[in-house]
Amino acid sequence: MAEAAHGGEVAVVTGHFGFAAGVKSVERTVPLWALMLAAVWLDVLFVPLYLLKVETIVNAPGTDGGYGDGIIHADYTHSLVGALVIAALTGLLCMRWWGRRAGVVIGAVVFSHWVLDLIVHRTDMPLLPGNLGDLPRLGFGLWRYHAVTAVVEALLVLVGAALYWRAARQTGGSAKRVNLVAGLIVACGALTLALDVAGL
Amino acid sequence: MSFFVGAILFTALVGILDAKLPWPKPRTGVK
Repeated sequence: MAEAAHGGEVAVVTGHFGFAAGVKSVERTVPLWALMLAAVWLDVLFVPLYLLKVETIVNAPGTDGGYGDGIIHADYTHSLVGALVIAALTGLLCMRWWGRRAGVVIGAVVFSHWVLDLIVHRTDMPLLPGNLGDLPRLGFGLWRYHAVTAVVEALLVLVGAALYWRAARQTGGSAKRVNLVAGLIVACGALTLALDVAGL
Repeated sequence: MSFFVGAILFTALVGILDAKLPWPKPRTGVK
């Protein structure tokens, strides 16, 4: 999820990238940059809708809207059906470039964003686009526990980087480069998480 | 800001450096 109306960051960012790094260790033919982009694709699509005020973020009651303290009305990009449609379309597009399996993987990683968000969101994720039918919203609300959420995000990055490093070593590529990329995953994850927690 | 920083760092920087490694290539389906 992108930035809140007051300029602060409210959501899981880093964990999605860690997950993508872990997927690369299993699906080695899919480019890492594509997996990284797929992992946050719903948020990328959220940005223009947020700027157009179609999707919005408000502060959770009694909070200043910092890390994990947003109520996010991303009713199109982050609805269950919306996310499934976006994942399917993205996967189909990628199939044309990288084949069937890679397309399925990319589609699954796009949808993984919704699943990870479901764990942390504060009951603000609708089932249908535009919250059609005013059905109950979903979200397990891990964001209420900031430290726990940050630790989970950090663990996702560390585990993802470790899995990536193990797989990358088996490619026969330069050990120096493997170490560099794995180290950058951890370093970039730490920086992004720090900015996120600081509300930047 | 963290979203944009993360997206640029992970997709561009990490992604481009990773692309230099000899990973198996995807089998393209439709031409």
